[in-house]
Amino acid sequence: MAFISPWIIGFAVFTAIPIGLSFYYSFCDYSLTRPSRGPLWIGLDNYNQMIHDPVFWKSLGNTLYYAAMALPAGMLVSLGLALMLNANIRGQTIYRTIIFLPSLVPTIASAMIWLWMFNPTEGMFNFLLAKVHIPAPDWLGERLAMPSLAMMSVWSVGNTVVIYLAGLQDVPRELLEAAEIDGAGPIRRLFAVTLPVLTPVIFFNLIMAIIGTFSILTIPYIMTLGGPNKSTYFYTMFNYDEAFKYLHMGYAATLAWVQLALTLALTGIAFLSARKWVHYG
Amino acid sequence: MKIIKPAIFALLGIIAIIFLVVGSMQENFPAPPGFTVVEYWEKWNNPEAAQMGVIVDDFNKTVGREKKIFVHFLSVSDIDQKTLISISAGVPPDIAGTWDTQIAQYAALGAVQQLDDLAAAHGITEDYYLPVFWRGCSYNGHLYALVSTPGTVALLYNKQIYQQCGDALRAAGLDPDRAPRTLEEFDRYTEILNTRDADGLIQRAGYVPLQSWYIPQLSFWFGGRIFDPATGRLSLDSPETLHAYQWVQSYAKRLGPRALMDFKNGLGNFDSPENPFLSGKIAMDQQGPWMANYIAHLKPEFSEVKVPIDRQWELKDRRTNVVWGVAPFPSAVPGLTNVSYNSFDALMIPSGARHPKEAFEFMAFVNRQDEAEKLDALHCKNCQLRHVSKSFIENHPNPYISVFQDLAASPNAQCTPVCPIWPEVYQTLLDTAQAVSLEPIDPAVALRAAQTRMQGECDRFERLLEERRRLGLD
Amino acid sequence: MKAIATPRRPRHPLAGLSIHLGLLCVSAGYLLPFLWMVSTSLKTGSQTQESPPRWIPHPWQPVNYVNIFRHPTFHAVLYTRNTLIIAILTVAGTTLSSAIVAYGFARIDFPGRGPLFAIMLATIMIPFPVTMVSVFRVFRWMDLHTAMWLGPDNFLQMLGTFKPLWLPAWFASAFNVFLLRQFFMTLPKELSEAARIDGCSEFAIFWRVVLPLAKPALAVVALFSFMGVWNDFLGPLVYIQRPEQYTLALGLAAFQTRIGGTPWELLMAASTLVCLPTLILFFLTQRTFIEGIATTGGK
Repeated sequence: MAFISPWIIGFAVFTAIPIGLSFYYSFCDYSLTRPSRGPLWIGLDNYNQMIHDPVFWKSLGNTLYYAAMALPAGMLVSLGLALMLNANIRGQTIYRTIIFLPSLVPTIASAMIWLWMFNPTEGMFNFLLAKVHIPAPDWLGERLAMPSLAMMSVWSVGNTVVIYLAGLQDVPRELLEAAEIDGAGPIRRLFAVTLPVLTPVIFFNLIMAIIGTFSILTIPYIMTLGGPNKSTYFYTMFNYDEAFKYLHMGYAATLAWVQLALTLALTGIAFLSARKWVHYG
Repeated sequence: MKIIKPAIFALLGIIAIIFLVVGSMQENFPAPPGFTVVEYWEKWNNPEAAQMGVIVDDFNKTVGREKKIFVHFLSVSDIDQKTLISISAGVPPDIAGTWDTQIAQYAALGAVQQLDDLAAAHGITEDYYLPVFWRGCSYNGHLYALVSTPGTVALLYNKQIYQQCGDALRAAGLDPDRAPRTLEEFDRYTEILNTRDADGLIQRAGYVPLQSWYIPQLSFWFGGRIFDPATGRLSLDSPETLHAYQWVQSYAKRLGPRALMDFKNGLGNFDSPENPFLSGKIAMDQQGPWMANYIAHLKPEFSEVKVPIDRQWELKDRRTNVVWGVAPFPSAVPGLTNVSYNSFDALMIPSGARHPKEAFEFMAFVNRQDEAEKLDALHCKNCQLRHVSKSFIENHPNPYISVFQDLAASPNAQCTPVCPIWPEVYQTLLDTAQAVSLEPIDPAVALRAAQTRMQGECDRFERLLEERRRLGLD
Repeated sequence: MKAIATPRRPRHPLAGLSIHLGLLCVSAGYLLPFLWMVSTSLKTGSQTQESPPRWIPHPWQPVNYVNIFRHPTFHAVLYTRNTLIIAILTVAGTTLSSAIVAYGFARIDFPGRGPLFAIMLATIMIPFPVTMVSVFRVFRWMDLHTAMWLGPDNFLQMLGTFKPLWLPAWFASAFNVFLLRQFFMTLPKELSEAARIDGCSEFAIFWRVVLPLAKPALAVVALFSFMGVWNDFLGPLVYIQRPEQYTLALGLAAFQTRIGGTPWELLMAASTLVCLPTLILFFLTQRTFIEGIATTGGK
């Protein structure tokens, strides 16, 4: 018991108490400007305001729209890349490093680079498209901005790929060899042996991806500032603005709780569905 | 490979240690022992930061040395958020150099200190400043900030382009030798000054509502006021604001939203030789006096028609040396002249600051007649004080500085609305402006929605403030 | 120890070739932005504004890399030092405390072990904004009280120092505890049994028997947390205000100016340098990394 005491203390101080406080603040008006300016109880006022706030619905919709695109794309691409990177070919280490590279580039540099690449008149994408005579879309215009950001998210799957690679090491050699002897081709082996064994890892990555998608903040903050016309205004940006720009910390706590509830709900659904498709051992 | 790996690790380790040691030595800064250190965070980067640095040095060498005060001047990015968080953390700077748009908000939330007593003790009273700036620094009858440098906005136009289109202008009954005097005239000027190329794309625009900084305040030129501190009511759906937004939308309609978007995307950065005005892509703009400095830096030819910039004082009329002209931005209301939006950079003392009295010494120094004029001249801005010396006007880098100075002194000079939820209102107005320029929405509907929401916020804010006072939770 | 399955070379050269081709295309795409970053870092200020942009600047300006160290507001050495301090303290704290806690969950049977572990896992899902403001408040409460007893600016002061960034790491991070616990559970019990018979205390077993065996897993934890701290932007954004305390991530953000006259070439040069350490570390420790996670298994 003594062994886990550090975690218990930390949990209490850095997690349990703040969550409790946060829950309390969601029922208060609070600005945190002076120590003497404490929270003022206002009951369900924040929740009421949230339901009637068009910006809340817009940012929530934006985030779900982004998740609907980025999650499947990210999962498929990372799995595919991991399978390719698992093949024992020359230069494996270099390829793996290249795929992991984007996760290491500082956020602000990434944001700036992509801003430039998406630039409608001078950016790399439209420059290349012009060479093949395809009309240049306005990547960060109101309609395409979110899909463009989702496309960007595929670029930083490095972490997920590494975890898949680790999982692929666990696929028992004996099973693969047995399948091969039985005459199964590589595709059949993939679906019959590799993927089923990999399901716990896929599940883990799915949960991590859900959590990650809902926490996206820095990149769009630097790139689009939530525009144009609030089309890339993510939920976390809304939360951050309410807390630190408009100083509505009580309202921000309310928003954070709703985000927590949503994340838990989604992971709960994932857990329930896991019984159907995740095989352990 | 076996030897290389540990070697690289060792190398990284050594580099890390070097950084640690050298970095730790860099942490300290020189402050004379026994002096009170005043932490001053300012939003500016160079060159403005270096120019303020001159004033800080002046202070440290004179008044600072006398009174044993040392001002430690730091350039901080995202200063509004950093200041707020540091106030919440209880470790704020002694002076925060933010914007006028935050004064009411910070004051209402108790984030900054009242300066009435300190100001009176230093002889800084209402008749020392121009009325518009004193209004901007006050909230609820108390003083919460001082000005570091002001920025009055006027119409900037390209005289050369006017002359190029001289015949067309005269044919329309307009005068290419002067700026438009009413907004209706202004629209006619822009129509003639627009040029398109063979594909119908805009080559040069007479004017486009570009500077998002000014758009929320546009209703000033239509006779509106946005916020009335006496009643606490916003007027976002007033007829004047509606006219303003219809005017913005008319530009999008006239130029075509898609063409306008493409044109805007193709414009260069403000701080580069591809600046829209300097590259001739737009003929007219709303700008402040600092433009003269930017022009001298980025495109000196614009200011060297007759002689090089540093010899401009040899001429009788410096205005003939520049390709650009400045005039009051015209208003839409006949008879309403000399309307200007006067924003400024503010100096405030956060709540919980360790050395407020010493901090104010520096703030008062910055506002001393000679130092204020010096800083404003360095930044190429107008002056916030009621009286300016002749030499300020005559030696100022901007030959049109008297236009700005007169505009700030006019009875129709407006400052940022002193509304405690101004950042939200500002953002809402910006969003509305963007929405109406991109889509054919009815501005009346959009503004009414904005008004209902924002007024609701404002009322709620006041109500909660009342309740706090009642419960002593202020 | 599990048998690691490394696949053999593909039978058909065609399969190998198509994988190579696929990876080449993908790598090009992934590498492109990075190459652009390096390309921009070698340009002069006016070259960065060129349109259409060129890939290889001619003439080039490698002195940008030196100019970063001379920049008036970006104090490269100072920010690196700050980041290093936070990183070292975080990595040490996380590795040590997570190992201790993970051992507790893996090896020691105590009442409520299952539910507590589940709660711990649940905390991974809590997004930062939920606790952001409240943790801040907790720190401020602590500061107010320590200031009452020990005067202002005492050594226990939280806000205004680096402590909020590395102190929580010393109380075990759920994700790392999870990883290490999985690993510890794969170790044979006979070893600890033997030590226990010899009269060792539980902690001695942990310290002298189990921990040395855990080196690969510990390396993974250390590496992951180092990379996390190195690039962390949000944490410093909330907890660091004084410019002399900025970390590299914050410092890079300060290159951006509001009016737009960002010195692109310097920003990109600085960014390239900033991602170099983590890049080198990843390249060198890849195998350990992947094998380390593999042996903990996703089960």
